Amino acid sequence: MHNNIWSTIFDPGTFSQMLRSATPVALAALGGLMTEHAGIMNIGMDGMILMGAFVAAVGSYFCASAAMGILAAMLFGILIGLFFALFTVKLKSDEFIIGCALNTFALGVTAFLSREIFGLSGTSGYAVPSLPNVTIPLIDRIPFVGKVLSGHSIFVYVTWLLVFLMWLFVYRTPMGLWIRASGESPETLRTVGKNPERMKWIASILCGVFCGLAGAHLSLGYLNGSFVEGMSASRGYIAFACVIFAAANPPRAYIAALMFGFFDALGLRLQSYVSSDLTGTIPYLITIIMMVYVVVSRQKRRERLAKQQLQRLEP
Amino acid sequence: MKKQRFDYGYILTLLISLVVALLIGAGILALTGHNPLVAYRALLGGAFSNARHIGDMLEYAMVLCLCGLACDIGSRVGIFNVGGEGQLLLGAIFAAQIGVWLKALSPWLAIPAAALGAMIVGGFYAWIPGVLKVKLKVNEVITTIMLNTVAVFLCQFLAKGPWKNTNKNIVAGTGNLPGSFWLKKLVPGSNLSTAIIAAAVITFLVWYILQKTSKGYEMRLTGDNPRFAKYAGMKTERIVLITMVISGMMCGLVGMFRVYGAEHIYKSTVSNEYYFEGLMVAMIAQYAPLPTIVISLIFAILKIGAMGMETAAGVPKQLYLIIQTIVIFCMAAETGIRAAIARNRERRAAKQDVKARKEGGNEHA
Repeated sequence: MHNNIWSTIFDPGTFSQMLRSATPVALAALGGLMTEHAGIMNIGMDGMILMGAFVAAVGSYFCASAAMGILAAMLFGILIGLFFALFTVKLKSDEFIIGCALNTFALGVTAFLSREIFGLSGTSGYAVPSLPNVTIPLIDRIPFVGKVLSGHSIFVYVTWLLVFLMWLFVYRTPMGLWIRASGESPETLRTVGKNPERMKWIASILCGVFCGLAGAHLSLGYLNGSFVEGMSASRGYIAFACVIFAAANPPRAYIAALMFGFFDALGLRLQSYVSSDLTGTIPYLITIIMMVYVVVSRQKRRERLAKQQLQRLEP
Repeated sequence: MKKQRFDYGYILTLLISLVVALLIGAGILALTGHNPLVAYRALLGGAFSNARHIGDMLEYAMVLCLCGLACDIGSRVGIFNVGGEGQLLLGAIFAAQIGVWLKALSPWLAIPAAALGAMIVGGFYAWIPGVLKVKLKVNEVITTIMLNTVAVFLCQFLAKGPWKNTNKNIVAGTGNLPGSFWLKKLVPGSNLSTAIIAAAVITFLVWYILQKTSKGYEMRLTGDNPRFAKYAGMKTERIVLITMVISGMMCGLVGMFRVYGAEHIYKSTVSNEYYFEGLMVAMIAQYAPLPTIVISLIFAILKIGAMGMETAAGVPKQLYLIIQTIVIFCMAAETGIRAAIARNRERRAAKQDVKARKEGGNEHA
């Protein structure tokens, strides 16, 4: 019996599912860390993902091409980013209110339009082109690793590339530095002749595009061409937690997303042993524990630094 | 102290935002091939056409108002209870199950016990993020949202598993409440029950405590300027935590009202993200109690009306969510634009000031 549980957990299927579950969260987190660097508390990502998923499904259906769906979701992401920045940056509205309202708006508008376009039963009866799964030659022959790494939607691999590119962008380009400065110390940025508000606009637009991508992955890759009402399922909030956990560092955010994905996969794998309703809570509880861990460890580090400074001053 | 007096600017903004939102809603209706006039007439009919609809509308206004107030008191001390949905659901399922357990007792014992149980569960579920926020400074928005989903799963587990109804046709629901435990209906056939009287008392108490007592003043001070409140000798951490727990207790009680007043059983229809709609109401009311009451009435009309509109005119009822959020965006835009104009005026005045003094480099941001 126990052997059975362990072999279920450490099956390649668990790790393959981990990568699948982590990808939409990681994509959204890549967007969320831009706004986090720019000093905007963005809890509206869930709505951005949901609308991205819907636009991708609609675009893919009407253009009969998954690529067009992705393009539509990205273009729409730009719009949403502009809309979000208009309120949070230009009009200086409460980020919390705008984020909450954006999420509810997304819930309402996607459900309304999906019923208008596809009818009550959603996209199930319609042919929405989805993305094919990619088999990587050679790697798919390796016994364990092949099953884990190969055969995913193209988004899984694109995300790896994007994580690296975003790391380069944030820490190795002037634009990344300016965006970080716009959040940490906007006045300093102003003294070197850069407009911090413009950087926040850029960060917000990038966030919209990434959330659009995450949504496109959900409807076209993860669920193979279907839109379900409320399908973002709090992933935007989980992505936000990942961003905080990672201190807005792209590779670390990806690791946090993987952690979420692992526990999500674990819950799915353990369904034959425990009720799926109980295992379903695991990723959300883990997110809370992650948040607590981050905050506590950050406080400890600050305390240690303060003590060191005190010791240096005292003798 | 703008909250005490009638704030005409705010009312004007609210009305304009409502009109703009309804106009945008009409535009969406026209674009999707509906006749806006027919749809809006169906909406009004859905809310007012008969006593049953009016009763349903008032019951929903009660839910929105209590949820909105629960959010109000939290924001008053600077903590956002976004987890009301989970507190509501857990309160509802525990209240329902307590009713099943105490089946043999008199309703005079069982109903207060259920209310108490719901409040304890809801309060405890709000205490968790409260303590994390107060002691460890963990962002309560994320933890409460996560706890919402956890509560949804937990309730599903309980309703499908250990507390399942003996009736095989009910997939996920607790046992039926005995008829003597049902709160008396004020309008037969509708959801409106005597719970609304209790709700009115709670609403009055919240308004009174927030606006008229020194406790309410301490709460406001804690929210506005926690450092000052602390140095003035207030136990700010305790105030925040207690407020959060009370907020959770109110949400739990709403769940109990839903079960004992309307559904008479716990199932998923007890709440469909009702708390979030209450949260929207509180935001539009700018976390003040009196506007919360009025706006929850307006949105109850919209929501119940939208359900009538769905059946009568075939328009998806989610139009209601769109209108509600557009009101928020409009109000945010209005305040933002007004603040921007004021900033511009200040900047211009400052520049003239600088010119007058013939000094350079004194720029204010």
